[in-house]
Parts: sequence; C-alpha cells; structure tokens
Amino acid sequence: MVLQLSNIFKWVQQGGQRVFLLKDINLEVEEGEFISIMGPSGSGKSTLLNVIGMLDTFDEGKYSFLDEPVHELKEKHRSNLYKQYIGFVFQSYHLIDDLTVYENLEMPLLYKKHSRSERKAMVADTLDRFNIVGKKDLFPAQLSGGQQQLVGVARALISKPKLILADEPTGNLNSKQGEEIMELFKQLNEEGVTIVQVTHSEKNAAYGSRIINLLDGRKII
Amino acid sequence: MFKNYIKIAWRNLIKNKAYSIINIGGLALGMAVTLIIGLWMQDELSHNDYFTGKDRIAQVFQSQTFNGETGTGPAIPRPLEKALREGYGDNFKHLIMATWTNDRYLKYKETSISRSGNYMQEAAPELLNLEILKGEKDGLREINSIMLSESTAKTLFGSEEPIGKIVEVNSQYNLMVSAVYKDIPFNNTFNDTEFIIPWEQFLTTNEWARNAEDNWGNNSYQMFVQIADNANMEQVTAKIRDVKKTLNEDSADFNPQLFLFPMKDWHLKSNFENGKQAGGRIKYVWLFGIIGVFILLLACINFMNLSTARSEKRGKEVGIRKSIGSQRGQLIYQFLSESFLVVLFAYLLAIVLVLLSIDGFNDLARKEITFPWSNPAFWVISLLFILITALMAGSYPALYLSSFKPVDVLKGTFKVGKYAGLPRKILVVVQFTVSVAFIIGTVIVMQQINYAKNRPVGYDKQGLIQVPVMSKDFTGKFELMRSEFMGSGAVAQMSTSSAPTTAVWSNYSGYTWEGKPEGFQEDFAWTQVSPEFASSLNLKIMAGRDFSREFASDSNAVLINETAVKYMGLINPVGKYLKDSNEENPSEPLKIIGVVKDMIAQSPYEPVKQAVYAYDKDDSASYYNMRLNPNQSTGENLAVIERVFKEHFPNIPFQYDFVDQEYGKKFAAEERIGTLSGIFTALAILISCLGLFGLTSFVAEQRTKEIGVRKVLGASVFNVWNMLSKDFLKLVIVSCFIAVPIAYFVMNGWLQEYPYRVILKWWIFALAMVGAMLVTVITVSFQAIKAARANPVKSLRTE
Repeated sequence: MVLQLSNIFKWVQQGGQRVFLLKDINLEVEEGEFISIMGPSGSGKSTLLNVIGMLDTFDEGKYSFLDEPVHELKEKHRSNLYKQYIGFVFQSYHLIDDLTVYENLEMPLLYKKHSRSERKAMVADTLDRFNIVGKKDLFPAQLSGGQQQLVGVARALISKPKLILADEPTGNLNSKQGEEIMELFKQLNEEGVTIVQVTHSEKNAAYGSRIINLLDGRKII
Repeated sequence: MFKNYIKIAWRNLIKNKAYSIINIGGLALGMAVTLIIGLWMQDELSHNDYFTGKDRIAQVFQSQTFNGETGTGPAIPRPLEKALREGYGDNFKHLIMATWTNDRYLKYKETSISRSGNYMQEAAPELLNLEILKGEKDGLREINSIMLSESTAKTLFGSEEPIGKIVEVNSQYNLMVSAVYKDIPFNNTFNDTEFIIPWEQFLTTNEWARNAEDNWGNNSYQMFVQIADNANMEQVTAKIRDVKKTLNEDSADFNPQLFLFPMKDWHLKSNFENGKQAGGRIKYVWLFGIIGVFILLLACINFMNLSTARSEKRGKEVGIRKSIGSQRGQLIYQFLSESFLVVLFAYLLAIVLVLLSIDGFNDLARKEITFPWSNPAFWVISLLFILITALMAGSYPALYLSSFKPVDVLKGTFKVGKYAGLPRKILVVVQFTVSVAFIIGTVIVMQQINYAKNRPVGYDKQGLIQVPVMSKDFTGKFELMRSEFMGSGAVAQMSTSSAPTTAVWSNYSGYTWEGKPEGFQEDFAWTQVSPEFASSLNLKIMAGRDFSREFASDSNAVLINETAVKYMGLINPVGKYLKDSNEENPSEPLKIIGVVKDMIAQSPYEPVKQAVYAYDKDDSASYYNMRLNPNQSTGENLAVIERVFKEHFPNIPFQYDFVDQEYGKKFAAEERIGTLSGIFTALAILISCLGLFGLTSFVAEQRTKEIGVRKVLGASVFNVWNMLSKDFLKLVIVSCFIAVPIAYFVMNGWLQEYPYRVILKWWIFALAMVGAMLVTVITVSFQAIKAARANPVKSLRTE
C-alpha cells in the first residue's frame, strides 16, 4: 500500500463558522493504481490532492504514507519524504521561466544530492525517453502548451517517484495535446507508476482504474 | 546547486534590466560612499602611524588658569628641561626641546628656497625614528649641521651629493648637511618638518632664548618625550604635574599643571576644556562613519523593497521549488546567494566609482588617500563588507520570499496580503527620515558658515596683502622699504606687525591700570605694530587718535580695541596708562592714545579677544601689511612689488598672502564639512529616489487592472496620478515629522560649539520638508503619469 487516509477533515474559519473543505475522507491507494478524482468546482479535489502531496495540512485524521505517519512528522522529514517519492504535474505546468528545459529537468535532482555525472545521465535519459532532446536548450516560453506539459511530466518522473500527483494535467491543453499526455500517463501506469489525477473530464477519468467522486468535501460513491 | 542559483539570479538580472540597474546602481553608490568614508576614517585613525613609538611618544602640555579660565597648550618654559632631566630623567627614554615649525630660507649656490622646519635636540632622529637615507643618524650632534628631508635635498642639490655641502640659512649662518632623511608621509604630525637644525644653533643665534635658561615665565618652546620602556603615561604625568608650580613660586597663582599629551591623541582628541581633554576631530570621524552606515542602509532598503515588491513574480518559483522538494533553508540560501551576486557586482562598480572620485575627494577633504590595492587586510575587509551588505540587504527578502506556501502560490490566485506592504512602507519612511535629516543638517551647516562669513571683520581685508619678513635680511630696512614700495605706486599704505592680521601670536600679562580690580589676572592679545597699522588696514579709530610720527612720545603709546576697554573696565580709556606690574625694574608705562574697532584676528565663531596694539620700537616685524593701490589692477601691483622686492632682496623668494584668502582659511574645516555633507545628502536623496522610482513602477504595474477599470469608469489622468502619488507622499510626510526633531536636536548640539552662531529658524525645517515632498512627487510622477496615460483597453485585455 502506498498511502492511507483515515477520517481526514480540513476546514477554515469563516465568520465564526467552520467551512469544511474535506469531510471524513477515507482513501487507500495501492501500488500500481491509477486513480481519478472527480467532482464539480469547489468540491475539494485539489485540496485533497494537495493533502496527499503534503503541500497542504489537514486538521483532523490520520495519514500514513509508506507506513510513515505523515501527521506526526516534522516539516523537514515530510519534505524529504515527498521529494523522494512524489512527483507533481500541474495544470499550468509551473516550469521555471528562467531556466531551460534541461535545467528545469535537472532541478529536482539538485535537491537530492545526485552527483554531477549522475544528474547528467538522468537528464539525458529523460530527454531521450520523452523525445525532447532537441528542445533541451529552449526556455518554457518558446514551447507550445503540450510541449511544456510534456516537460512538466518529465520533470515529475525524473527522480523515479512511486507516486505521480497530477492536478488537471490537460486543463490548459487542446484535445489532441491532452490525449497525448493521457496516453503517456497510461503508459507510465503500465510501467508501474502509481498515479492520482484530478480531472473534470469523464474521458480522461476513463484512463484510470478507479474513480473517486467528491462533493462539498465529502466522498460519494 | 550554487551554480543553479547563480544562473537563475543572473538571468533574472538580465531580464529585468531596469530593476537590476536600480538595484546594482543604488547599492554601488551606497557602497562607494561607505568605502570612501571608510578609507577616510582609516586615514584619520592611522594618523601618526609612521612613528613606531606612537604609543610611547608624548608632548609635554601645560594648563594655566587666568581669572578662573583654564587654558591648555603645548608651550612650556626652558628651565623645565633641566628640571625634568635632573629630577625625573629615568622616566624618559628620550627627551627633546624643539622650537615651533617655521619657514626658513635655505640657499645653496644660486638655488634659494623657503621650507618649513624645526630646531630640535640631538635625540630627535631617534625619537621620530627617522629613516636616514644618507649620512648619520646622529646628524644633530654638531652645532653647525642641518638634516634635510629627501625632497628638500633634491630641490636644493638636484643630482649633487648633499652630504657635506654648505647651506645658507636665512642669510644668517652656514650649516653643513649631515644627513638626509626620508620625507615623513603626509598623514603625520611632523610632515611639515622639512629640515632639522640643532637646538644649540637656535640658542646661539637667539639671545632672548639663550638668556631664558632660568625664565619660568617665558613659555615659548615645545618639548617632546618618549617615555621609558617600563613607564606608563599616567604615572609619569602624575609625577611631573606640579614640577613648575613647586620650582617657581611666582607661577603658582596661575596653577600651572604639566602633563603628557600622548601622540595617539594629537590628531583626533586635541581639544581641551578647562584643562581636561574634550574630544576633537574624533567626533567627525564618528559622524561620517554614521553617515556612511546610513547611506549604505538606504541602498540596502532599496534592495529589500524592490525584492519584496517583486514577490508575486518570484512567488511561483518558490512554490515550484518547494513542491519539488526544496526546503525553506535551501530557498533562503538561494535568495541570499542572489543578493550576494548583486552585492558583488555593486561592489565592483563601487570600486570603479571610488577610483573615479578619489582625486576629487582628496581635494575636497585635503587628503592623500590612495586605493589600497596591495593591502591584504583591505581585501579581507572588503569580503566581509560584501557579506555583511548582502546579509543586510538580502536577509529580509530571503525570509519573506521563502515563507510562501506552495499551495497558495501555485493556485495562481496568490495576492500579497493586506499587511505585506507595511514593512515596505516602514522602510520607505526610514529612508526619507534619513534624507530629510541630512537635508536639514546640510542647510544648517551652510547657514552657519555663511553667517560667520558675513560677520563684519572690523577692517578692510580686500586689496590687502601680507609679506612675511621673519629673516634678519629685513632688519632695519622697514622705513627704506616703505618709501620704496609706496614710491613705486603699487602700494597705497604700508605697515608692519609682529603677527599676521589673521592671527594672534602673543599674549601678555603683567600690567596694571587705574581701577584694576584686586587680584584680576589680565591676559591681552598683544601685537607690535608700526604707526600706519590702522590706516593700512582701514581699521577705524573709535576714540582718541591713531599713532603719529609727529609725536616722539608715541613710541611708548598703545592702541587698544573696544573689547579691551570693557575688559579693563575703563570709562575714558584715552590718556590712561598701562603700567608694568613688576615693581623692581619696571619698563616704561604705556599710554593709551586711542581705541580701535574690534577686528577678528582669531576664530570668526568666537568673540573678539581684548587686544593691545603696541608701537613697535624694537623692529620686531614679522609681516609687511600692504594696502594695494586701488586704481591699478592687482596683477600690475604685484608685478611692481615683486620687482622692487627683488631689487633689495635678490636672494629671498618673494612670498605673499592675500589677507582675504588667509581669512577665508578660517572657514576651511567647516566648509569641508559643509561640502561633504552636501554631497552625501545629494547621494542619499538620489539613492532614496532611485528606490522610490522602482517601487512606483511596481505599484503601477500591480495596479494596472485597477487603473484600467478606473479609467473606463471615467477617471482622469490627474485622478490616477493623484491616487498613485498620495500613498507615497503620506509616507514622506510621516518621515518629515520624525526627521525634524532628530535633526533639530543634533544640529542644535553642533551649533553649541560656536559662540557666534546662527539662530535656527522654522523655515529651514519647512524648506527641507517641502523639498523632500517635491522630490517625491517628481519621482513618483514619472511612473504615475505613464501608468495613468496608458490605454485602458490594452491593460484590461491582457488581464
């Protein structure tokens, strides 16, 4: 089992009242799964994904990731955990504008104490694998949306994470580019990567093996 | 990793050129000022470092009390030498008597030059640790020898071997060059000692000094000592404090107190108040140090403000890095290395700025500071300086930027919170508080200088020159020269005086007069003058009459000034006598024949001292005072005077000073402070405005959409300009109200030092405030008007 959420609650105070963003969420993710989280705007999809990704905190409940109790870990420990095992893919790619494709790909490795030559080899492999060797010296602004997202996915994968978290990865892409990204995810999943994605589209959700529906922060079957 | 940070930082710099220029340029300016001030402070603090015995060398000073007022000075009487040598000799490693540094004519073959130098005792080269280039270190042993500085020897002898050559001094006596010593560098007390002649020679050629061996009342010499290796200054001072009082009962009335004034204090702590050491130049060293730190702070604030203002742009990067696994510490490190890079560039630019401006600065500050390329300590300090500045400028932005939560930033809805602008506002207030305080300070310094400059001097200093005649060549020639010069048509009136018009060289006591209060300890500024002194200076006679050649009895007559009339408590001074209080063998009583207007001879900031102008019957002229013929040009007059001078004194270089220029030198110190603080203020304002300019452009950019909406809804350019300017103007007004009391307090303290001082007026403060606001409005308007004129359709479409 990759992770387990038990009775997760998250809320904010608004005018003296608690507004729940997540309500009693229970979720288990097994290795090799491809899960799609669906639901209308404001239903808590992204919040759930951020909680899973440890970018966001929660107020109540238990979360264990690879048998580590996340809610009890210190910030530093937590970030060590996610930088080792989790890769993020964002709707608006979030590449660093001032770095080239090559340097964007290299960045996660810098935070992981790989040697120079290791980094070089890993980036070269990834460029190869995603067929973007020719683009390595370009800056994000010089790429199309689809290409940028391709780099985004490549960056998430470069440090060989156990889990990919994708927040509407095709939201900013046209349908053809979107399809290519989803095909890529499918292929990665088949190679053994666990994926959790947030999506609006039934079609994209269908690539996954399981669908979780959220409404007002609550899981509905 | 570090390379990656530097790469990002570099690309950021390239991409945001305006921002980079403001940041690096502002920091470079600030750092250049701090660097120059640092070099200046180092120069001041290392004064006299040339002397290896700096910590053990001292000059013997004396405090005496007249009418409850204690005066302190370096002049000591001759018998003290014997007393100290015999009674306290083991406390001193070296002890030397010396004269005052004065100009002398040195002549070798056809070359005649004027150089300043001293008569000193044998141990002087040891005490000063002179570096002997040629000849012997004990070059003062033979009475007929002279030691020359390297540059003096070079001017006098050119390429000839100087040792053993005969130099004629003041056309009076011939001395043989015994040694050549390396010039004492500029930044040291004895820098102007360009030759040294044995003390014995001084005694032989000056009868009055030779006969003063037992005269405790004649304080006319200097004494320098190096204390013994096992002694300490305080202890020696305690031993010698009352030596004069004990050995000379007559002097006890004035309570003479002797003490050692250590060499390390000569330059920076040379003020005495009531016999106690009371600071001095050191105050300005600290003042400028503080100014330097403040200016650097202003530049750092720019960096902080511009970095945090751009936080929305950098926020995304922070979010991505955090989501990829960067820890906060790593981000802080990243941002700090970025500021380090910026500061490094700024420092390189600052060095260029310093190199470009150091000559100008040296002129202004009267320094010979060179850039210490080869000094390793300088580079170590530079590195520390860069690191400290980078920390000062970069730590707040680093902490602030690295605190962003990735979830907030990456959602894309990230806006800086309501209070995020508060620290920025506080920083702007700090900047303008400093700037406004600087403006006020500078205006007050300038005002004080002008105030003192406009003070009536009491005589006409324009068109007046003084020619030094302190050599035996001139003895007995005054009447002849007077008729020659006046006959030449270039000189309208001419007189002599025993001191220059712009100084008091002698102070006398020992006189009584009708109605003198019991126990009154008098002290007069005393100058011997020729009969036409008042008329050559256009010094007005307020009562009685001027000297006249008609009356032979005038040789025992004096003029006194108005202050002296009040000081002596005389109602009808004319016709009264000043009598010698020495009853055994009194000199002739002096008749007061007239009262002259007070003339400023000493500090223009202080009241005029009670002065006596006595008829010069012993030919003790030190200067010729010449009133130039007003009907001819100064150039013509001077050419004629020089020609006449050369006819009579072919071997003496013709030297002269314009009295108004000499008088102007009295303001030099204050003017230097005024000019420097003016420049620093201008730079402070420039740096602050640079920051404000950058900040406005970001605010305008941030509010582009708001401005667009407002314009669509009917706001005019003026409305928008008003909206953008108002915020900043408010901050500047707050700054003014903080700066005014601080500036008032500090400047009022500064002015207390000057008895003759300008009164602080409210409009100075108002002027500074209005000035600061005006500068703000102009700076902000550049961006505000640009933003306000932009086409709203464009700005709304891009949103």
